[in-house]
Amino acid sequence: MEAISGSLALIGYGLAAIGPGIGIGIIAGSAVDAMARQPEAAGMVRTTMFLGIAFTEALALIGFVLFFLA
Amino acid sequence: MILASEECDLTENAVCAPTEVTELFEFREPIFEILGFPITRTVVLIFLAAVIVVGLVFFGLRRQAVVPGKFQVAMESLMGFVRDEVAIGIIGPEGIKYYPYLLSLFLFILVGNFFEVTPFINFPITSRMAIPMFLALVTYVIFISAGLKRQGYRYVTEIIWPPGVPLLLKPLVGIIEFFSIFFIRPFSLAVRLFANLVAGHVMLTVLLVTGVVALSSFSTIGGKALFGIAWWGIGLAIFMFEVIVIILQAYIFTLLSAVYIETSLHPQH
Repeated sequence: MEAISGSLALIGYGLAAIGPGIGIGIIAGSAVDAMARQPEAAGMVRTTMFLGIAFTEALALIGFVLFFLA
Repeated sequence: MILASEECDLTENAVCAPTEVTELFEFREPIFEILGFPITRTVVLIFLAAVIVVGLVFFGLRRQAVVPGKFQVAMESLMGFVRDEVAIGIIGPEGIKYYPYLLSLFLFILVGNFFEVTPFINFPITSRMAIPMFLALVTYVIFISAGLKRQGYRYVTEIIWPPGVPLLLKPLVGIIEFFSIFFIRPFSLAVRLFANLVAGHVMLTVLLVTGVVALSSFSTIGGKALFGIAWWGIGLAIFMFEVIVIILQAYIFTLLSAVYIETSLHPQH
């Protein structure tokens, strides 16, 4: 069992990274879309994009921490 | 040091993997003691970061020249950014009250993070959980006390039940929002900073140390030692990437603190 636990944690982290990866991609893509349509709103869009990325990224980072703790 | 170079066997592995990562979460041996308080390397670096922050602001604003020098321009644009984009831009006109806190938070995290890529230090103090956790707790106390001061005890019910929640859903939404605001918020705020810096630190250490070990063990592994150059190259590329991460994480921590304070002050949003 001891030999398996390390690799299981790695797989768990990999699974935890899938959702946030897709989410960040969607957020960044939509932000580029919005900035291209309305360049004058770019500053506001960028701030909101960072906020969205920060919230989405948290899930992957919790997975990253659990990888160390497992 | 995570990697002890003598434990690394490059004849079989391509990369020196860290043998014991739990070391990251443990206390290290103190360097010296003052009045019974053990002083570790992390503590020394915390005080160094505080001194650097105070020095930056002091020397940046000491002489308010009409034609500012380069250093004054840099400091003024940094502080103006935090004031206009974060404090006033997110919280609104009353955000100027929180500007000193947000500025010191931003500068301290920035300097603490920059220790990661400073030669001969190479250790971000924010990669010890105690420091981001404490900063997150300060933000937690500030945004909850701001909400309680503004709205009294109605704050708690206002913030866990946004306007327009149907009566049937109120218990469920209440539980979810209560946990997400009072437990997940400070935890994820701290973990975000901590995990980003730990990941960067471990990645840089593994790549650069593998490069050094591979090149220095040329006699035992022969031509494979040239892979060390490739690891060094990737490590230096990651170095540049880490500088972006460092600035972005300091910005995001400050931004989220401002957003949390704003949701406490104006719950209807």
